[in-house]
Amino acid sequence: MNQAAPVPKENQGEPVVRIDGRLKVTGQANYPADIATANVAYGALATSSIARGKVSKLHTDDARAVPGVLDIITYGDMDKTDKPKFGNTGASSIAPLHDRTIFHDGQIIAMVVAETFEAAEEAAMLIRADYEDDPPSASFDSKGAKVEPAAGKSPMLKEDVKVGDFDTAYASAAVKIDQKYSTPTQHHNPIELFSTTAIWQGDQLTIQEPSQNVTGWKIELARQLKIDPANVRIVSPYVGGAFGSKGPMTARTAIVAIAARRVGRPVRCVVSRMQAFNTQTYRAETRHRIRIGAGKDGRITAFGHEGWEVTSRPDSYVVGGTSATGRMYNYGSVLTHISLVHADRNTPGYMRSPPETPYVYALENAMDEMAVALRMDPVEFRRVNEPEKEPIGGKPFSSRSLVKCYDQAAQAFGWSKRDAAVGSMRDGDWLVGMGCATAIYPTASAPCAARVRLTADGQVRVQCGSHEIGTGVRTVAGQMAAERLGIGMDKVSVEMGDSALPPAPVSGGSISTASVCSAVLKACDAVRGKLFAAAVAGDGPLAGSGNAKLEMEQEKIVASGGKSAKLSDVFKAMQIGAIEEYAEFAPNGSTPEALKKLYAGQAEFHGGDQDEDSVKYAFGAEFVEVRVNSYTREIRVPRIVGAFAAGRIMNTRTARSQLMGGMIWGIGQALHEATEIDRRNARYVNRDLQDYLVPVNADVKQVDVILVPEIDLDVNPAGVKGLGELGNVGTAAAVASAVYHATGKRIRDLPIRIDDLIA
Amino acid sequence: MSNSTSPGGLSRRTFMTGSVSAAAAMPLVATSTKAAESPTAKAAEPRDLSTISMRINKQAYTLALDNRTSLLDALRDHVGLTGTKKGCDHGQCGACTVLVDGKRVLSCLSFAVMNEGREVTTVEGLASANGELHPMQQAFVDHDAFQCGYCTPGQIMSAIGCIDEGHAGSDNDIREYMSGNLCRCAAYPNIVAAIVQARDEIRRA
Repeated sequence: MNQAAPVPKENQGEPVVRIDGRLKVTGQANYPADIATANVAYGALATSSIARGKVSKLHTDDARAVPGVLDIITYGDMDKTDKPKFGNTGASSIAPLHDRTIFHDGQIIAMVVAETFEAAEEAAMLIRADYEDDPPSASFDSKGAKVEPAAGKSPMLKEDVKVGDFDTAYASAAVKIDQKYSTPTQHHNPIELFSTTAIWQGDQLTIQEPSQNVTGWKIELARQLKIDPANVRIVSPYVGGAFGSKGPMTARTAIVAIAARRVGRPVRCVVSRMQAFNTQTYRAETRHRIRIGAGKDGRITAFGHEGWEVTSRPDSYVVGGTSATGRMYNYGSVLTHISLVHADRNTPGYMRSPPETPYVYALENAMDEMAVALRMDPVEFRRVNEPEKEPIGGKPFSSRSLVKCYDQAAQAFGWSKRDAAVGSMRDGDWLVGMGCATAIYPTASAPCAARVRLTADGQVRVQCGSHEIGTGVRTVAGQMAAERLGIGMDKVSVEMGDSALPPAPVSGGSISTASVCSAVLKACDAVRGKLFAAAVAGDGPLAGSGNAKLEMEQEKIVASGGKSAKLSDVFKAMQIGAIEEYAEFAPNGSTPEALKKLYAGQAEFHGGDQDEDSVKYAFGAEFVEVRVNSYTREIRVPRIVGAFAAGRIMNTRTARSQLMGGMIWGIGQALHEATEIDRRNARYVNRDLQDYLVPVNADVKQVDVILVPEIDLDVNPAGVKGLGELGNVGTAAAVASAVYHATGKRIRDLPIRIDDLIA
Repeated sequence: MSNSTSPGGLSRRTFMTGSVSAAAAMPLVATSTKAAESPTAKAAEPRDLSTISMRINKQAYTLALDNRTSLLDALRDHVGLTGTKKGCDHGQCGACTVLVDGKRVLSCLSFAVMNEGREVTTVEGLASANGELHPMQQAFVDHDAFQCGYCTPGQIMSAIGCIDEGHAGSDNDIREYMSGNLCRCAAYPNIVAAIVQARDEIRRA
């Protein structure tokens, strides 16, 4: 049996093989820096060696003397462009070449353009700067870091959620905890390097760059360059991993565009792994204080969640996960507060499951502590606190299958065999621990357009400016069309990753499958409508079946009475060769401007906690076994089981892969990942894949994914909840709980390393 | 070597600048240039060009390259074989793995000039001429052993090397000997399953 292709259960689609699988295993999938580009020159960045101050003088003579150097873009050269803006489309307001101020270590101070990659690199290393430097503030507790309330500073957090009288409830609770947790800086580190290739043909600019938001970037880049967006095209046919890092556009894109215009030929800049740590976004480090009060029966009466998050000096990036943690269980009262800490750092951004990964980690580690304090089974503790309605606004959940997830995962894992006593389960030299945690991710969708063409010979082409970042969205969009039009997948092609295609929202927040499939569904239904009308018309091949229910299957239109007509015959009757339909999908509750905003590159998200009628979330339960060596304290994760319910599953293969990858990300967050900071210089230390640890093959053994059937027609027309970000929420807390169970040590600061368990 | 020896209308200058043209998939210099002027006599200066001959995917190439050009950049920027990926350029991620004389090599850590006379196999050289996938490629498709696909060429080349070395005897061996190939999407369990399938198929063949 092939575990990669789970047998579909109710409301789950076939495990169709990825539509681009063959291209990916033969090296024919073109990632942006792979696209053959004639006469291309190479760009290389020079970056600052201080974190705060000013560049007083830049020395470029040595660099210009390197044979093959064509140009150096630096201060003054971007003056005719507008500065980048911080927001959903722009990574930061820091405009590195507009202004000699240095806001963070590794800030771009110049870009060399040369005939060859080698010459560009050599010259970039010869650029020297004189600085007027000030002592930087690196992070939490650094002198000079500015702390302020986060609420109102970002659309991500309008206000701190709260309900009831927390102080009174907490004070009078029979059992309570008050603990602090933290998560480190993390960098996405997709294996594909960040790159920009800029090509001008007259006044037409083409940018080849891995992107999760081609339409948004087109608009933003045109604004910066002060040109008509119609003259800008962003091309990103394949993306070599994104995880949020390729969502917001950085300052580099406009710099490369200007360079290409100056040298009069295409310029490609592939950013080094090391420089990417400072010139792209990252996951902000967070701190949490959690207070939980409960009665002796385990019912929570008070939940308090305070968060602190690091951001840059000029930009207020808010992680903001209390909306989800505040709605997770049936708390009697909720009090939350989030603070931002501005330091001399590049601006953070969203990284896989942005708010939930750190915030739910803190909540779920605390839930396990609370279960211990109550002497309750941690699964039972969660069951006791399962809500009818979410506590903040009193709205129902559109669907919530968390208990089912716990039941199925616990059974598959063998939770009943766990001896609750700490340190009680041992296998030779290995201390065995078992832990669990809840996964939650808001279900949202956004306006999206798609074009579907069906030809008389049964070929289908789907076009949508979404992004194949590895999720399988190209495959599931094709599947939706194949299913709806009754055509085999082998006759379906799907085009994505180009701003010349019908616009789609940013591929973030697990919205793509729902948004794209809803748009494709709508376009397909328009195609069906035309075919059906022609088929049952007086001179049509199904004349007289006007009242029958019609379906499309195997390149035929089939009437409920049993009559059928070949697709080609319907086209013949229509005297046309192709039907092409362009459809726009807008979620329920969209504003009148929602579609206009889609074309302007601004996704209007709906769902999650935003809707009037209900709150919409996907849920999961994860169980982890850890083994801690009793002598060396080495920590291994031999087994992890996750059960997830996320509405309609379009494709059990791609869904399982994403959830599996997510859970392994969770193992990485628990045990490996952290960007270390030299606090004196506000500098990242481990800026490579040797010292920034991510899980490798040997870190992972058995990973079981259970897809729990769930039907939710309230979320969107496709009934899809999205699950790209669900899998790695909660995992780290399950690992921490298992480590506690094995060793009696409650580690609250991630990642959990051997040194935390010694002594 | 002179301009006249390069087919496809490319001048010496255009390929010295490393540009990849529409004709990139063709060998830039045909084997008939094997009598090129003394290739390594002046190789001491890093910026100098050296003429290197090697076989890539069973086809002969002669390339004039900066002495500092890595095998990876030679493949991608000078030969136009972009299936081999750059993920770190420091030998830390495995995305650039190719086979050199049948052994897996990190092409970013190998200067092109070090590969004179060698036989290089990249992911583009695996499928047969009729389009039939190599058993390892097919196994990666069958087991969904990738998501974004960027590390995949390196994983596949490394997996072939791993089996060849005799390091694919058990799942644990595969995990250990494939740990130099990072997959950020974390398709690891599927990669192991794919290698097991391909291993058994190759053994049967």
